[in-house]
Order: sequence, then structure tokens, then C-alpha cells
Amino acid sequence: MNKPGLKYGALLLLLAVVVYHSVYFKKLDEVKAKGARTQFDAAAYADAFWKTKLLPATTKATDLNTLIQALKTDKDQAFAAHSNAMSIGNIRYFLVKGQGKITAVRDQEVTVSLTNGPDIIVATEYIFGNAARDASGLISLTEFTNTMDLNNVSAEINQIIRKRVVAPFKTSVKTGMEVEFTGAIELNRAHLHTEAIEVIPISIRSVGT
Amino acid sequence: MQISLQTYRPIILKFQSLIALLLLCITIGVLSDKFFTVANGWNVLRQISVNICISVGMTLVVLTAGIDLSVGSVLALSGAIAAGLLRNGIELPANNLYIGFTVFGAIVAGILTGSLLGWFNGWAITRFKLPPFVATLAMLTIARGLTMLWTEGFPITGLGDSFTFLGTGWFLGIPLPVWISGGIVLVTVLLMDQTRFGRYVYAIGGSESAARLSGVNINRIKIGVYTLAGALAAVGGLLVTSRLDSAQPNAGTSYELDSIAAVVIGGTSLSGGRGSILGTVQGAVIIGVLNNGLVLLNVSPFWQQVVKGIVILLAVIIDKSSAKGE
Repeated sequence: MNKPGLKYGALLLLLAVVVYHSVYFKKLDEVKAKGARTQFDAAAYADAFWKTKLLPATTKATDLNTLIQALKTDKDQAFAAHSNAMSIGNIRYFLVKGQGKITAVRDQEVTVSLTNGPDIIVATEYIFGNAARDASGLISLTEFTNTMDLNNVSAEINQIIRKRVVAPFKTSVKTGMEVEFTGAIELNRAHLHTEAIEVIPISIRSVGT
Repeated sequence: MQISLQTYRPIILKFQSLIALLLLCITIGVLSDKFFTVANGWNVLRQISVNICISVGMTLVVLTAGIDLSVGSVLALSGAIAAGLLRNGIELPANNLYIGFTVFGAIVAGILTGSLLGWFNGWAITRFKLPPFVATLAMLTIARGLTMLWTEGFPITGLGDSFTFLGTGWFLGIPLPVWISGGIVLVTVLLMDQTRFGRYVYAIGGSESAARLSGVNINRIKIGVYTLAGALAAVGGLLVTSRLDSAQPNAGTSYELDSIAAVVIGGTSLSGGRGSILGTVQGAVIIGVLNNGLVLLNVSPFWQQVVKGIVILLAVIIDKSSAKGE
């Protein structure tokens, strides 16, 4: 064989070795069937978490009035005792409960004047973020193989709140209504503002007349 | 014996980057007790590994009196292609065929992507006589757009332990990215010092017309240089993707500025023909140490940008005045 022939032959052989070690072939329907079996179902996970973990956990939620007082007295102690978060940093989440009178109803939120406490906001339109997922501290990061699945769980829990909590509440809400609620709040440990607390509701219902 | 600053001027000029690095390290070390720790040292080396990969390619481009603004976007697309192929493979429903990619295959595909985009830069610049600034600026937006299309704007995650080892693993007590960037530097130094290709790169940057009259195939060398720059940006992209275990659609944004800064601080002339790979490595270390120091000293990210800009400006001014002196 002449020199160029040898050169091209060697190159072709190298290319064949690279391709051989780079790709593999399977039947598409088999891969899809296996993928469907192993794919994470965020909606199902969120539904199960909602029913079996989050709703039962609200019975142990911290009273919001008590929490606000504790934050004013000893911030670090209050954060250590009542907050949860998956990530490091100053953003922490609290599972809270409270009771009060609705003093204002707006498109995105209602203002609730807590019984013997300050005014707080309950979100009724923009339900986003990880507060509802992380406040109970009952989901562990190690349960997930990637962050996308974890984020999808948050999105699905927020979707449940929109459909099962907020939608029915919005049909009957009016100023002056006495309500009882549980929910999740997000606070920044480094820049704490207790005067502007917003609750993502997990349950909210009218009480009394 | 009279000793004046003039006596040491040639030495100071020769080692100006090293002296600057030393002064920077001492200053940060005095101000922060966390700087001179082993963990921080490895952290800095890991971080600069990506910039070294990109900057080495950028040095070759700048030596030919060119510029490559697309390296950040090429990095993102190469990382995303590798991650996408590794995670999802290629589906051919018409043939009921699934083509899966091994880690090796994904790495090869990523590097080929970068090389192809780099080759296209070189081809556009030489074929249509486009200014490198314009051609690579166009590629910057093309590659970023393709990255968004490929990832649909979402990160591609869950790439597996074998792939993430590339960016997070250790070998003989040293982080793997440091070995990779070190290997790239070594090979490129040899390429520039020991081969005809290296001499042609310097010749083109020194005087393109003289190089052409000497029989150098300018277009071929330039295309080769841009292809190499694209391939090295792709290696950087693979390191970033594997370190994060995720291909981010906005990865590599403004990385071109850090790499140009490393090249300039390392003493490579933006008008081409003068500079070295080892100088660029020093430049990348200075940028890395500066970034690290500013974070350790709790300097606001907005001020960090101002400080980096001033350092680059000073480096160019010093380089210009030393060139005049020579």
C-alpha cells in the first residue's frame, strides 16, 4: 500500500474506534418504555406529599403571633427552632398558623389582621417559590437525583395550592370575614422584615359568623 | 556602586506579570486570613482552569491580530450539546432507532461542536475578509441562540458520576481540571515553540503581508487557529458542565472578557505577533486571584467589575509603555 493509502487507512481505523466507543444503538420503543418506567412523576409525588406529609404537619405549625414575638426577642433562636431550608443561605421557611379578620381584599392577596397581632398578607394569586415545599422540612434533597425534579415538585405543590386552596377561598372571600389559616412563609435571616409577612396558604377557612 | 531603578528596569519589565501576581497575593493574604489556605488554593486553581482553556485559544487568535468574542457562547453550546446527547441521545422515530452516547462520545461531540463553530469563524473571516470582531460577534449571538434552542431555555441536569468526575475529580492529589488545563498549556507551548504552525502564527501577527510573500498559507493557518480556539472553548464548556452536573443555557456569559483580560495582562499584544502562552497563564492566574480576593474581601459584585476593568486598563497602559521603551 502507498503512503497516502496508509495514512487514510489509519485515519479511518481511528475514526471507527472513536465511533465504536462513542455511541450505542437500541430500539426506540424499548428505550421509551424503560424511560416511562423510570421517569420521575412530580405531580404524583407532590400529591402524596400534600396528603400524607404536609397537611398532617400543619397541626404542628407555629402560631404566627408567637413566631413574630420570638423573632423580635431572639432572632437566631427563633430561626433555629422554627425554620427549615434545603439550601444554605439566609432564606429560611416557616410552617405557620393563625387566625384573624380580613381587612382588605385585592386581586392578588388579602390582608388579615391577626387576632391580638399585626396585619399580614395571604397570597391568593401569585403562588410561587419553594416555601410550601420546604417549610415543613419533610422533603430531603437526597430523595432526588437532579434539581429539575426537585423544582418540579415545588411547581406541582404550588399548583395544588392554587386549585385546592386558593380557588375555593376566592369564591367566598369578603372583607370582615374571620378566617383560620395554615401556611408557609419565607424570611431572610440577614434582612429580617416582620412587618411585611406574606403567607402562602396551605389551608384557609372561614370561622364564626 | 550606584543602584538605580533603571538598572532593574529590564528585569521588572520581563517579570511584570509575576511581580503583579506576587503583590496581589501578598495584599489579599494580609487582608484575608482565608486566602492562604490549601482549600482556597485548590478552589482558585479549579476556577481558573476553565479560563486557562479559553485564554490559551484566545492567545493564538490574538497573536494573529484577531479576536474571538464568541468563546463564551461556544463554551455554552458545546457543553449543552455534550450534556443533551449524554442525557437524551438521538431519537429516530422513523427507524424506531435510539442512538445513545457514552461519556466519551458526549465529550467528543462537545469538542467537535466547538471545533466546527471555530472553523466557521475562521472560514467566514478568511473567505469574506470579515473583521474578526464582527464575525465572532455574530457567532456569539448565533451560538447563544442555538444553545437556547437546544436546551429550550432549561438546564440539562443529571449527567452521571462518570461525567461529573471530569470537573470535580482528583488525580494524584490534584483536581482533574488542573491536569487538563495544564496539559493543554504544555501541548500549546510545544505547538507554538517547536512547530512550523507556531512560527507561522507569530509571522501572520507580525506582518500578514510579509508572511504571505514568504509563502505562508494565511487562510489555512487562521482557520486552524480559530478552530483550535473553538475546540479549547469546548473543553472549557465540558469542564463547566461537568463541574455543575448541569448544562446551563446562560453558561459562559462574558467569559470572553475574562479571557481577553488574561491575554492582555499576560503581555500579548492586541495588534498581534507578540506574546506567549505562559504569559497568558499568568494573566489568567492574576484574574482568578483577583476574582477570588474580591469575593473573600466581601467587595460588592458591582465594584468587582470596576476593579477588574481598571486592572485591565492598567495592564494595557503598562504594556504599551514597555513596548515603546523596547
